[in-house]
Amino acid sequence: MKFTHTATVAASRDRVWAKLMDIPAAARCVPGVASVRAAGSDKYLGTLAVQVGPVRLVLDGDLVVTARDEKAGTASVKADAKDSRVGGAIRATMALHLSEKEDETELRIATDLAVMGRIGEFGQAVIKRKADQLMQDFADCLARQVMR
Amino acid sequence: MSYDYHEPHSLDDALALLTRFGDDGHLMAGGTATVLLMRQGLLRPAHVVSLRTIDGLSGIARTPQGGLRIGAMATHRAVERSDAARGYSPALVDAFASVATVRIRNQATVGGNLAHADPAQDPPPMLAALNATITVRSPRGERTEAVETLAVDHFTTSLSHDEVITSVLLPPILPGTREVYLKFLPQTADDYATVSVAATLRFADDATVADVRIVLGAVGPTTIRAKRVEDALRGARPTPERIRDAAALVRDEVDPLDDLRGSADYKREMARVWTERALAALTR
Ligand SMILES: Cc1cc2nc3c(=O)[nH]c(=O)nc-3n(C[C@H](O)[C@H](O)[C@H](O)COP(=O)(O)OP(=O)(O)OC[C@H]3O[C@@H](n4cnc5c(N)ncnc54)[C@H](O)[C@@H]3O)c2cc1C
Repeated sequence: MKFTHTATVAASRDRVWAKLMDIPAAARCVPGVASVRAAGSDKYLGTLAVQVGPVRLVLDGDLVVTARDEKAGTASVKADAKDSRVGGAIRATMALHLSEKEDETELRIATDLAVMGRIGEFGQAVIKRKADQLMQDFADCLARQVMR
Repeated sequence: MSYDYHEPHSLDDALALLTRFGDDGHLMAGGTATVLLMRQGLLRPAHVVSLRTIDGLSGIARTPQGGLRIGAMATHRAVERSDAARGYSPALVDAFASVATVRIRNQATVGGNLAHADPAQDPPPMLAALNATITVRSPRGERTEAVETLAVDHFTTSLSHDEVITSVLLPPILPGTREVYLKFLPQTADDYATVSVAATLRFADDATVADVRIVLGAVGPTTIRAKRVEDALRGARPTPERIRDAAALVRDEVDPLDDLRGSADYKREMARVWTERALAALTR
């Protein structure tokens, strides 16, 4: 499943970059994320809780920054997480891209999401809608925080 | 999968159990949706609280004012076979009779249907078109909510975990009102809708539309009220041209997803076609 999200921030590219690369702080912008902590260079451990109707998923996993190029304003992030109670896992690769436009910065996130195991029982359509909401909330929250 | 199964004999006892178990408890009515989620391993409650041993939750009767009250534990089949329900609105009976198979309808309840909140279900659009409200009990007391606003997202309602739907109240239908429920089933007869349309329309004495309500199922995260289509018809004479133009507005009101029943574009187009058909049926 592929999605692209964008958010425009009224701040310089440098400021948005700094915010984005402070992973534990940036991750708190994802609704449902708890306890993100560093585990080595460019690797983080964390938990994401997602509610779909009566079903609550608690996804435990790690996030790795696989590439970053400050000059180009691009970074790649890979996240792997599983819910051991329900029995299912997700893998997401995200390509982040910042581009400066006059006095604003556009944040673009291209996500490729794979869902494995029982979580897939919800159906692709519902998962897609949920992931879509999550990423858009993340982009919007990050934009708000930088402007503060 | 193991859990404790509780059979309280009063609503107050059920509410006390739900409060005690919190997130570890789950309410069960007919069980058709809940058991499926448990089998899939998606739902693993430690305690299941059944409503089946509580008396007085399954009646179906006309109200003195001419409306209809349906107990939350009434099954789909009971509504389908109820003279009171048919006397109130044959279209309402059609919507319940459209659900799945007789085996499911014998088991599935009206309250469970509304709380499950799958946007492709049949009764919710018809109940919303008929302006139904639910009564909800919790340890904090009783409240009512419109069926139209109950679902807030896929499988998600505004109910909190200790709230129980006790009944559905349908108001009296004004004289001159017509109702219809259409379910588009291109695949098999017992499938979920690809698109469904529930509508009510009341004519004024001068043959213009005094009021109209149109609610669609399966084309968004919740049922969708087609307000722009309604506005284009209210106060107007519903000629075939006006109906065609009004129905075209529904394309921008729905928000369907691509799935095995068709692409989002296809469903958008089918929403238009079936809205036009529903309106044609009501003005014939
Ligand atoms: C094979 C199959 C085919 C189906 N096809 C269709 C179809 O074509 N059209 C359609 O409309 N539906 C269809 N359904 C869905 C069906 O309508 C629902 O499963 C059913 O209505 C749920 O009712 P229930 O009493 O079995 O609820 P349960 O499974 O007992 O409960 C469902 C949910 O509602 C909650 N709940 C139950 N009662 C209450 C209450 N009184 N107050 C608060 N919360 C409550 C439960 O906690 C649970 O989360 C189908 C289901 C199956 C299994």
